[in-house]
Amino acid sequence: MSQVNRLPKGGRVDRSQPLTFTFNGENYQGFAGDTLAAALLANGVDIVGRSFKYSRPRGIVAAGAEEPNAVLQIGSTESAQVPNVRATQQALYAGLVASSTNGWPNVKNDVMGILGKVGGGMMPPGFYYKTFMYPQNLWLTYEKYIRKAAGLGRAPLEVDPDIYDHLNQHCDVLVIGAGPAGLAAALVAGRSGARVILADEQEEFGGSLLDTRETLDGKPATEWVAKVIAELEKMPEVTLLPRATVNGYHDHNFLTIHQRLTDHLGEIAPRGQARHRVHRVRAKRVVLAAGAHERPLVYSNNDLPGNMLAGAVSTYVNRYGVAPGRQLVLSTNNDYAYRVVLDWLDAGQQVVAVADARSNPRGAWVEEARARGVRVLTGSAVVEARGNKRVSGARICAIDLKNHKVTSSGELVECDLIVSSGGYSPVVHLASHLGGKPTWREDILAFIPGEGFQKRHCAGAVNGVFGLGDVLADGFEAGAKAAAGAGCKVVEGSMPKTEKRKEEAAVALFQVPHEKSTSRAPKQFVDLQNDVTSAGIELATREGFESVEHVKRYTALGFGTDQGKLGNINGLAIAAKSMGISIAEMGTTMFRPNYTPVTFGAVAGRHCGPLFEPKRYTAMHRWHLEQGAEFEDVGQWKRPWYFPKRGEDMHAAVARECKAVRDSVGILDASTLGKIDIQGPDAREFLNRVYTNAWTKLDVGKARYGLMCKEDGMVFDDGVTACVGENHFIMTTTTGGAARVMEWLEIYHQTEWPELKVYFTSVTDHWATMTLSGPNSRKLLAEVTDIDLDKDAFPFMTWKEGLVGGVPARVFRISFTGELSYEVNVQADYALGVWEKIVEAGKKYNLTPYGTETMHVLRAEKGFIIIGQDTDGSVTPDDLNMGWCVGRNKPFSWIGWRGMNREDCLREDRKQLVGLKPIDPNKVLPEGAQLVFDPKQSIPMKMVGHVTSSYMSSTMGYSFAMAVVKGGLKRIGERVFAPLTDGSVIEAEICSSVFYDPKGDRQHV
Amino acid sequence: MSNVNVYKQRPDAARAESPLFHAGLDELARKGKSSAGVILREKKLLGHLVIRGDAKDPAFSGGVHSALGLELPVALTLVAKGDTSLQWLGPDEWLLIVPSGQEFEIEQRLRKALDGQHISVVNVSGGQTIVELSGTNARDVLMKSTTYDVHPSNFPVGKAVGSTFAKAGAVIRHTGEDTWELLIRRSFSDYIWLWLQDASAEYGLAVKA
Repeated sequence: MSQVNRLPKGGRVDRSQPLTFTFNGENYQGFAGDTLAAALLANGVDIVGRSFKYSRPRGIVAAGAEEPNAVLQIGSTESAQVPNVRATQQALYAGLVASSTNGWPNVKNDVMGILGKVGGGMMPPGFYYKTFMYPQNLWLTYEKYIRKAAGLGRAPLEVDPDIYDHLNQHCDVLVIGAGPAGLAAALVAGRSGARVILADEQEEFGGSLLDTRETLDGKPATEWVAKVIAELEKMPEVTLLPRATVNGYHDHNFLTIHQRLTDHLGEIAPRGQARHRVHRVRAKRVVLAAGAHERPLVYSNNDLPGNMLAGAVSTYVNRYGVAPGRQLVLSTNNDYAYRVVLDWLDAGQQVVAVADARSNPRGAWVEEARARGVRVLTGSAVVEARGNKRVSGARICAIDLKNHKVTSSGELVECDLIVSSGGYSPVVHLASHLGGKPTWREDILAFIPGEGFQKRHCAGAVNGVFGLGDVLADGFEAGAKAAAGAGCKVVEGSMPKTEKRKEEAAVALFQVPHEKSTSRAPKQFVDLQNDVTSAGIELATREGFESVEHVKRYTALGFGTDQGKLGNINGLAIAAKSMGISIAEMGTTMFRPNYTPVTFGAVAGRHCGPLFEPKRYTAMHRWHLEQGAEFEDVGQWKRPWYFPKRGEDMHAAVARECKAVRDSVGILDASTLGKIDIQGPDAREFLNRVYTNAWTKLDVGKARYGLMCKEDGMVFDDGVTACVGENHFIMTTTTGGAARVMEWLEIYHQTEWPELKVYFTSVTDHWATMTLSGPNSRKLLAEVTDIDLDKDAFPFMTWKEGLVGGVPARVFRISFTGELSYEVNVQADYALGVWEKIVEAGKKYNLTPYGTETMHVLRAEKGFIIIGQDTDGSVTPDDLNMGWCVGRNKPFSWIGWRGMNREDCLREDRKQLVGLKPIDPNKVLPEGAQLVFDPKQSIPMKMVGHVTSSYMSSTMGYSFAMAVVKGGLKRIGERVFAPLTDGSVIEAEICSSVFYDPKGDRQHV
Repeated sequence: MSNVNVYKQRPDAARAESPLFHAGLDELARKGKSSAGVILREKKLLGHLVIRGDAKDPAFSGGVHSALGLELPVALTLVAKGDTSLQWLGPDEWLLIVPSGQEFEIEQRLRKALDGQHISVVNVSGGQTIVELSGTNARDVLMKSTTYDVHPSNFPVGKAVGSTFAKAGAVIRHTGEDTWELLIRRSFSDYIWLWLQDASAEYGLAVKA
């Protein structure tokens, strides 16, 4: 198909580079430099989608981010699918495949179209909710079909092959928008030596200057644009970001920019390149030069393909060499809109008529249009578009603005393109993200940015400044202020000369009157993307939705990806009129990030796949991998979970590992435990205050288990701390609690007890720890160390230094399994070698590596708690039956003492940690199972506790568990029941939580 | 000897694996391309000591100077002499990096010079390593990785800060115009190595032995 609407010349496209693309299964051709929208228009594609609710045919309306209809699905393969792409923002590339997102089975013949037409009059806002609300349980069914029929694009089902990344940027001045104001601001800021970022969402810089009729210094404005860009490019501290939408304005001048690096090259980025990049910018000053969006007029059938924004048509003609029609009618209330008439005539097309709402417009462009023979109907407007799937005529009538009435029978003119302009709405979105309420200015009929809570300067059209000369001056001034504010020295410069042109004020016109009442007149669309009509807004106010925020939610005005770019102001004006108040009184809704949709890939950046979350490894990790270990996540650490042998499942592996430790010797990588080096004359006193138990009498050479509580008396960490010098301790913490405990110590030292002379240094990563556990651990260790391991020379809960495997080591004789155990600590760089030497020497003892699961079983057999498993932040040491670990006579009121002595903490019926022995020794209670005393009571049963740890013990030959039970310590010997979700009940006897070797003989040998 | 336990932790002769040992950097260095935007090198197995003390006490700063021949660096800076560097980590905390194996002797020397003061010296050599990044795109890789402003106007040579690095943390040291050092923890080193490979992919990455 040829490009029927392509003008023979003109535009900034490269006609020597034709590009083929596919839309809804048909092949078309465009040129390099086209947007997808320009190429579709060039090919005479009128219908790009069906509307959301009424399923009416829709065509391209705008040329930029405000386009409501041409929101397409892009991608030739499943993995390359991208939803929500505005055709006006997508550069054309060879082989582009696009399709409509609304319209099923296809946009030209839509099932819903018939429904929409038939039911149109019966589908006021709230339709879905009102009609499908009852019966309630059917809503899910309705919703499925409604969503399918509506459609808003879809996510790919396959993995995205592209990469996306993030870049942290800092600058003195961030300039948002590279139109005349933004370019001027960037230029003056750049010349001051400031670090400048200039971001613009379009394919090339220049904004309105790329399609303007106006000249700068007597030459085409694009020449000035090229000159400015060339100068900016030479500045080393200026970063130019084209195809980069500033999507979010956050606190402290932190802004997010979404740059589409390769979307103009193809659907998949060239190898090795990121497709999108999110710039996370911290700017000292921001110059907001986001420009303005032209506002369409609201008249009947204004959604038919062939109704467009006046300025958009100028853009298509001047920038892309595309004339989306032959016979044009303009309906407007302002002078600037007349440029489309002149551009259209210059392109050799026919202007049928101009309907100007003003009674006697005499501006320069108006007169120029008249002089060129254009018929200007004053005091008039297009009240209704006619046509089926494309505009074929316009009904123009005289209107009475004051009384909102049609005053003539009017005439029907033949045309295929109706363009409208109701004025210009500053793009206040970004300025509103932080809560600044936009301010209505009656003189320019527009909201401008309200109070700026950040160091921000608005410039140009967004600031309500419209004439080109004024815009440039505003841009230069904002750039100078921003640069100066950021501490840079501004240098004098001169502005390009602009033309002087007589321009007259606009009159207020939003909704065009119709002979019939709003609700009876053919539909007048306000928000095309969300299918909101003027009748709908009137209905909303009639039904009592008077707040602008309520009107928005009732009608969906400004919802979704559209964010009210085209329709918001018209909608507010209609609501205000309907309630008889002013627009200023009505106010506007707020806008939220993001300004335009952002792909999930860009949000994730590189934090995906293997980089999603840091994985921490110990020095022995390679060995664990070689042994085929299964791993468990403990915090960010990867810890060996168990070491299955060929054919073993977890149960078998754990049973074997447990037996090896109880019978001979096992080895565990315990490097992940938190380790804190504590030095200073007050170290001992500090320990007295942060641990529940007493440390005054711990001699050098000894180690002690300690519990740590928060102020509320609840246990939050535990571990063994060794006294390695009179003023020197090594504290161990739980794996997951290491950072938390370190911070806890620092907080208390820095804020509560700064007078205590003590320093804390994390040595978690410095020391690698290997635990030898089991009756043969002494014999094995003796083979690789020079330390005297005699039980009297090196008793339980002491430590020694010496060589292990030829490497200096600190060995602690402490035990988490209840067996004879040694924890060998060496500098991590040498740990793997030491580990391998121990493993080699251990062969004759059947030395068995074991993981966290076996560790859990073995410690539970001994009743040793695991913080976070047997505790949950609501248990005191007494609840754990660990009152022996509380120093009740310590002189200083240590952390947790007052908390655990509150009345509630002293109750005897608190949940207390006990052991459970299932009556059926083969049944393993599920961890987390709720417990009751009476299984026959009716539901809801009275819950008296829950299972915290539960295992099958191969050593003891029966299942066992730890649990918290109300008043459990006084119920030893009684029964509890665990009713399970499958209806079965496991009965268990309450017993001591120490199941194995209760006297502790084995660890003392 | 004193109220603290100081002993030699590094063996005279034993096999050592630095935190990035498993990445096989030496092998990669032999295979790597010569022109790359980013050049990475692990400065491994050095002696790392964390020193704590009162910066305002002239006896402390004087003692450090007499033991090391280096002035205590002020906030966010590091000073270096030969293979030894001393870096400010916090108002009462410094990191001393010395050639491998010297840390025990230097700790003793420091403790002697600071005898009687409330100080702390902790050997953390096994817990961290230094990754040196150089090349024309080293700064770009840092911009992808940390929220801190690494522009030379804010981060001149001689500056060092602790900050976020991807989803972990790192101490970032600017040691030469195009040369930076990352001080990273052993357990996070594999994650950071993966991250750095990824972040420098578009500029080309070469590994130096």
